[in-house]
Amino acid sequence: MSSRRVLTLAQRVMRQVLRDRRTVGLLIIGPMLVLSLGAVLFRSEPAVIPLGVVNEDQGLTVPIVGSIELGQRIVDELTAGDAFNVVFLDHHDVDARLRDGTVQGVIVFPEDFSSKFQENRQVVIDLHIEGSNPTRSMTIIARVTETSMKSLAELVGTSFAIPGSPQTSEGEAALPVVVQTTYLYAGEEFDTMDFVAPVYIAILALFFVFLLACVSFLRERSLGTMERLLATPATRIEIVLGYMLGLGLFALIQVAVILFYTVWVLEIHYLGSLGLLFLVIALLAVVGVNLGILASAFARNEFQVVQFIPLLIIPQILLGGTFWAVSEMPKYLQPFAYLMPIYYANQALRDVMLKGWGLVEIWPNMVILAGIAGVLIVAGALMMRREVA
Amino acid sequence: MDTVVEIRELHKHFGVIRAVDGINLSVKPGEIYGLLGPNGSGKTTLIRLLIGLLEPTSGSVTLLAQAMPDKAVLAQTGYMTQASALYEDLTVRENITFFAEMCGRIDRAWIDEVLELVELKDRSRSLVRTLSGGLKQRTSLACSLAHKPRLLLLDEPTVGIDPQLRATFWSYFRQLASSGVTLIVSSHVMDEAERCDRLGFMRLGKLLAEGSASELRDQANARTLEEAFLRFAVGNMEGGEG
Repeated sequence: MSSRRVLTLAQRVMRQVLRDRRTVGLLIIGPMLVLSLGAVLFRSEPAVIPLGVVNEDQGLTVPIVGSIELGQRIVDELTAGDAFNVVFLDHHDVDARLRDGTVQGVIVFPEDFSSKFQENRQVVIDLHIEGSNPTRSMTIIARVTETSMKSLAELVGTSFAIPGSPQTSEGEAALPVVVQTTYLYAGEEFDTMDFVAPVYIAILALFFVFLLACVSFLRERSLGTMERLLATPATRIEIVLGYMLGLGLFALIQVAVILFYTVWVLEIHYLGSLGLLFLVIALLAVVGVNLGILASAFARNEFQVVQFIPLLIIPQILLGGTFWAVSEMPKYLQPFAYLMPIYYANQALRDVMLKGWGLVEIWPNMVILAGIAGVLIVAGALMMRREVA
Repeated sequence: MDTVVEIRELHKHFGVIRAVDGINLSVKPGEIYGLLGPNGSGKTTLIRLLIGLLEPTSGSVTLLAQAMPDKAVLAQTGYMTQASALYEDLTVRENITFFAEMCGRIDRAWIDEVLELVELKDRSRSLVRTLSGGLKQRTSLACSLAHKPRLLLLDEPTVGIDPQLRATFWSYFRQLASSGVTLIVSSHVMDEAERCDRLGFMRLGKLLAEGSASELRDQANARTLEEAFLRFAVGNMEGGEG
């Protein structure tokens, strides 16, 4: 073994890497970009949750202590904290407000809320949650429980006791809070995988097709067949469309496999129509093909294609509303989210799978996806002109 | 039609480099026109300009009586690049058929004839990836013939192939020309040039001289084409300095 040869080889490798400025840049900037995005998103303060309250609690008059309005007490506590932005509602509005997203949860205090408490020595909170985002649902339940406990603990502190009610010897255990949750969409039988499935599907549909398109288009260029193809009457847009159809077929097969596997093998719960799901994912796959074709114009070799993953794919996943709701991101990142094709697919897929929405509700997202695909087709064809000339 | 290719005052500049620097040229039907010059003399750029893959800085190109660029004309022209640009995962026949189809013309009998011509009949089902360099080069030529073009533009078609295959290629070219196809063939190998009907010496983007091999030799008072080329090149340099 010659150490000299090893060193010479190492030197040559270094020289080659240094010649590829983009690679050097990406080695340094890529991790920083992805890390910063992650840091910003993980550290972003939990947003103030708009919470509706329907307070019909009639209160309860107790000898010695006087009037107790337990509902009002909890509402005061909720308002005082900074976790919720409390909105007062009429009980007829509950579902409508949850559906249009102006509140993310609603607590209903019935007329006999205080007297029920007196009877049972237990607070039963009737909580309605929108339900399509499991993380948020958990946060709401946890915060509501915590706040209710706190307001009850204050009652204990004033040695509030109701004559004739069952006495308990252990202070806090005597005042349990039970949150009964009703979900507008999805429901308790939905586990985390069910909630994550729509975005999982979206990421997979986009990612593989993107790589496939990018590499095959690049190969066409590097082998010289693109030049030959352009020396035939075939126009650039015809070439892009041909690729879209050819690779699109495989994308559709992949989409079908993904759907089949998630629904029948992994037994993911879903509500809306399977056909509509297929349509949304297919649209995203078309976007993926054309994004790949466009990106290939900026890559000289397969290695540079791989570099698009941290530049194009990871930001899509982080910013596209996959794991962090766009509304809860820092304001300056939100405009980027709307640039991510995957955002619109995520929206549409969640609406269909978790809310059971149909074409009537989700068409705007699909139109935007189709629009993005159209823009990418034209951009891909235009970039081809530049690279050949 | 008296000319198949008509080039007028053609310029292509890349920044300060004048890859094609004021070329006038015309080629008649059924002619084999050789573009002869060293590497970097602008042959490839000129051919790419002809076919519309590049836009000229100034000047005009007319192919088959159509001003270029014009996509429709490309259905009647064949183009062979320096590297044998083929789809490696397709068979010989699939490659040929594909390019024929791109030009809107599928004539199975003709494709069989082309396969016969380039002697690839028994390899037509082979994947291109499994072929030797020479066989790939023949497949590449077959692809440019697939749609029965009236004009063939061949950019260094014989580069990197053995002398025997080179001779075979030239006999194909002659066969094609006698059937009425016009050919423009670029090369930097002087002895090949003898086989062209007419030659253009290219150097630094300019056409130094034009004529048949014997005319060029006589004009330069040289024994070989190589010598003639060098004399023209020297004359051009002196003229340029003066």
